[in-house]
Amino acid sequence: MAVEVGRLLSVPDTVGTARWFGRLRFPILRTRVTGFALVVALLLLWECSARLGWMVSQNWPPFSLVLTATWRGLWSGELAAPLAASMARMVSGYLIGSSCGIVLGLLLGTVRVLDRFVTPLIEALRPLPLPALVPPLILFLGLDDALKIFVVAFAVVFPVVVSTVGGVRDIDEVLIGTARTFGASRARTLLRVVLPAAMPSICAGLRISLSLALVTTVVAEMIAGSSGIGYTILQAQYGLRPEEMYAAVLCIAVVGYLLNMGFVLLERRILRWHQRADADV
Amino acid sequence: MSAFLSVDAISKTFTVGKQTLSALGRISIEIERTEFVAVLGPSGCGKSTLLQIIAGLIPPTSGRVMLDGKAVTAPPRDMVYLFQQYNKSLFPWRTVLDNVAFPLEIQGNSSGRSVRQRCLEYIAMVGLSGSEDQYPWQLSGGMQQRAAIARALAAEPSVLLMDEPFSAVDALTKLELQTLLLDIWAKHRLTVVLVTHDVDEAVFMADRVAMLSARPSTIASVTDIALPRPRDTIATRESASFLSLRHGLLDTLLKKDRPGPTPDEVRVTMDGAAHG
Repeated sequence: MAVEVGRLLSVPDTVGTARWFGRLRFPILRTRVTGFALVVALLLLWECSARLGWMVSQNWPPFSLVLTATWRGLWSGELAAPLAASMARMVSGYLIGSSCGIVLGLLLGTVRVLDRFVTPLIEALRPLPLPALVPPLILFLGLDDALKIFVVAFAVVFPVVVSTVGGVRDIDEVLIGTARTFGASRARTLLRVVLPAAMPSICAGLRISLSLALVTTVVAEMIAGSSGIGYTILQAQYGLRPEEMYAAVLCIAVVGYLLNMGFVLLERRILRWHQRADADV
Repeated sequence: MSAFLSVDAISKTFTVGKQTLSALGRISIEIERTEFVAVLGPSGCGKSTLLQIIAGLIPPTSGRVMLDGKAVTAPPRDMVYLFQQYNKSLFPWRTVLDNVAFPLEIQGNSSGRSVRQRCLEYIAMVGLSGSEDQYPWQLSGGMQQRAAIARALAAEPSVLLMDEPFSAVDALTKLELQTLLLDIWAKHRLTVVLVTHDVDEAVFMADRVAMLSARPSTIASVTDIALPRPRDTIATRESASFLSLRHGLLDTLLKKDRPGPTPDEVRVTMDGAAHG
């Protein structure tokens, strides 16, 4: 079960570090229920602090009101529409960025000349904080979807490139030699041996990028927005409608959680061979 | 007309920084079709390097390898190199069946019977039936090596190059696999070059044993192994001719590493024994 909880935090506890250090005596405490209990307790605290006047502020509505605002927003479409728009941008940017990242990573990892040529550029661009890029990019791409998709793709590409290159470099030369002795061409070797062998590492990059994509989408919509969930949050804040503001934040939190969970499930399917192999060692 | 597989004055020099290291110095050997040749040598003598050059995996510094009249410049379709590290050589993301299917995918060889059917035959041949849907990590070392052999056979090579194939499996499995491989070799009329440091293995399996000297290696001697076939795991090893061949090879191999005892030293020891 320690592994299960570890997976939720996106880091499989394969070595068993947490299991060894933090062994709990009560089996009930080792289940996933414990994690949810803390969330529920904090939400209850929120509810009580607002209802019972522990915290008096116009901007601190009880959680139950936030929940109803969320429900209303989703049904009326006031929340659902911007959420859908944000998701569409995020997914487009993520798909574009991650596919570019994988292709670029495979090339950089295998073609040495290209690596010498391109890596310095990547290293120079990588530390750039994305929000800083948005204003100049507006001049070229406008305020619409093109800008946001580009920014998201740009944010996604780097972790994927770095992890792909790392994965490719780590491949044992015996695997490559095996492909060669069976007469596999370079292209075949790349697709049938290098890509699957680097997959565990690529997936790690893809997972980091997934949360990055969500963050970037929301930030981009806040800086240059006329729609989307990030814009909704800002509008609710300006309009002093805290319930709606928190409702939008809640939506993002839930979406982020679900995306990560979906990714972990998908990854577990793709990398079934890898996780079991790890557990065995 | 030269031999089926001929190694012609191969040498290999590695450059590490400013230092050059001569691993192989002019090695020549001719191997006939369906012959089983073992290359024996102390560890670090460049046996694997030689085998990888024959396989077309690394280029020689000088000399050339000819297979069936054609110079080997890249891994030939007809030749498969079986890596020593079978556990690293199997594709961990593929089941046994899919590993065995790999050469067929590469050759685009899906005529006639289904690929699956053919793979299952190769898997049966190495005694792995029932394990075809397992992943490599679910198999023991010996089973992994069987899977690697099945995959090599699926490429339908005429030459099998094996780099210490049984050095990492347990002693009993080793005996089983040696017999299995001899069966396959005879049945498929393969040409085998086996690199090993195990004198026992070389004598038991091969038609000829080529002994390498220490670096830069040259061929120190070639010994014909005229033991009758099929060879038996136990009986062959107990025969007088096996023991004498083994004795001779082991003797040369050990003498190369350290000078043998001088007559004086021998006398002292014998005196000591007499007094004690």
